[in-house]
Amino acid sequence: MKRLRGWWLLAALLAALPLIFPGNYYLIVVGASAGLFAILAVGLNLLMGYAGQISLGHAAFFGLGAYASAILTSRHGWNPWLALGAGLVVTGLIAYLIARPVLRLKGHYLAMATLGFGIIVHILLVQTGSLTGGPDGIGEIPPLSLFGWAIDTDGRWYAVIAATLLLVVLLALNLMDSRTGRALRALHGSEVAAGLMGIDTAAAKTSIFVLAALTAGLAGSLFAHQQAFVSPDSFNFFVSIELVTMVVLGGMASTYGAILGAVILTFLPELLVVFEDYEVLIFGAILMLIMIFLPQGIVGGLKDLWQSGHRRRGRPGKGDQDAA
Amino acid sequence: MLLEASGLTKSFGGVTAIADLDFGVPEGLVYAVIGPNGAGKTTLFNIISGIYRPDEGRLNFSGQDLIGRATHQIARLGMSRTFQNLQIFFNMSVLENVMVGCHARARTGLAGALLRLPRMRREEEEIRKWAGEALDFCGLGGLKGRQASELPYGALKRLEIARALAARPRLLLMDEPAAGLNDTETLEMRGLIGRIRDRGITILLVEHNMGLVMQVSDRILVLDYGSRLAEGTPAEVRSNPQVVAAYLGGEVHYAVE
Repeated sequence: MKRLRGWWLLAALLAALPLIFPGNYYLIVVGASAGLFAILAVGLNLLMGYAGQISLGHAAFFGLGAYASAILTSRHGWNPWLALGAGLVVTGLIAYLIARPVLRLKGHYLAMATLGFGIIVHILLVQTGSLTGGPDGIGEIPPLSLFGWAIDTDGRWYAVIAATLLLVVLLALNLMDSRTGRALRALHGSEVAAGLMGIDTAAAKTSIFVLAALTAGLAGSLFAHQQAFVSPDSFNFFVSIELVTMVVLGGMASTYGAILGAVILTFLPELLVVFEDYEVLIFGAILMLIMIFLPQGIVGGLKDLWQSGHRRRGRPGKGDQDAA
Repeated sequence: MLLEASGLTKSFGGVTAIADLDFGVPEGLVYAVIGPNGAGKTTLFNIISGIYRPDEGRLNFSGQDLIGRATHQIARLGMSRTFQNLQIFFNMSVLENVMVGCHARARTGLAGALLRLPRMRREEEEIRKWAGEALDFCGLGGLKGRQASELPYGALKRLEIARALAARPRLLLMDEPAAGLNDTETLEMRGLIGRIRDRGITILLVEHNMGLVMQVSDRILVLDYGSRLAEGTPAEVRSNPQVVAAYLGGEVHYAVE
């Protein structure tokens, strides 16, 4: 299946990594963390990369999912899967309620509104101590279990997160190669023309905003159970910015690019630890260089290079068929 | 009348763009709207397609009141359009641009798309076929696989028409289809407009190239300062003393380009 070639490759890679590096604790733990961020980035890319609507408050939905699971399981003794479902309902509902008024805005104004939403959610997590545990957060979150099999080791978490990522990627690929996906990309290209082609642009934006929020809520629930502890700092403004950076770095409007962005932004700081005091400085410089030389992001930039290489070797490409 | 306007008025901060305008577009014809720059032609198009809401007046499309309807609702009634300043989806391929044009003819929603159900896949095949036909009709069949951003200007003009036709409209609004085209391309455009009309699609045309307008139009509405200066067949309009005065009275930008 040509359409899903990349997906099978990703599945093979995720399955092979623990086998190639058996018992590599570092890879499994950081890998699981990168996987969670990849789920978030793939979801945000649907909204940002494809539909062209920026969100600087995406970490809020990540936090809503995480806190819903944390509160319902540790305080009220809910079944973790039931809590996860309830978390998704709450996250989706809140996303739906703010989507209509917020998505009427464009560009900088949309950025400001989503930024404000993210900050408000963070402040609520800190201030409503009786519900959220305040700045100290919530601990002793019970583990998830699947068919009576507790997901309580790093290896098992790697497997669960990898499987979830594959599912999310599959759904994202399906969506973008469909009538709905084309409608979203069209409103990115020209909102006026999209409307005149019969696309209800407000409804399309709302549904993709809710879908991106649900993806983040799902990642949040998994995160809460994986860490067994949540605190507001995991969902603050800087996390939202990091998510946007992942999408832009990997290459907007590319699902694999979003994954690559998440992997780079998770692993790079770990690798740069050897530079000690200069870690952040070098990290920033690398990001700047990538954006200067590959403004389309890594995947977009590589695609351009590949295509221009093809042209130079005389294969059909841009410019050859204009006369046809 | 397929499209009928009465008492249409629209002003922007004290400047009246359309003033108490009446006209009717009979089904199956090419109906041109001409007038000097700033006469209100594009404003009229934007009102008809639902981008602007008129301050006053009535607008009827095949028995349906258009006032207050959103653009996507109007599109679904069977109206489509092209733009003076191109509104291409440059982030998509040529084929995908036209597939978007089929949006209102298909039904698959979010769930069907996510799960890629068999019915959705069958519909995708159909959309692909419809889009391919529209591209062939506009002479773009060979450029299907290209990115829209790679196409030259003349091809983009036809791509907009293909996208609009893929919606299978009853009324097609064409906003300056020949603007920026060379003589050969203008000739091709004239042929294309004729073929669209032969399919039974009514065309509402705004165009500055008078040669083209006189050749393809069945009826012409002449606007001046947002109101009706004259209306009739090309021959009637050409011999109307008011039109001649307005056109030859110092205005030169109507010379055939």
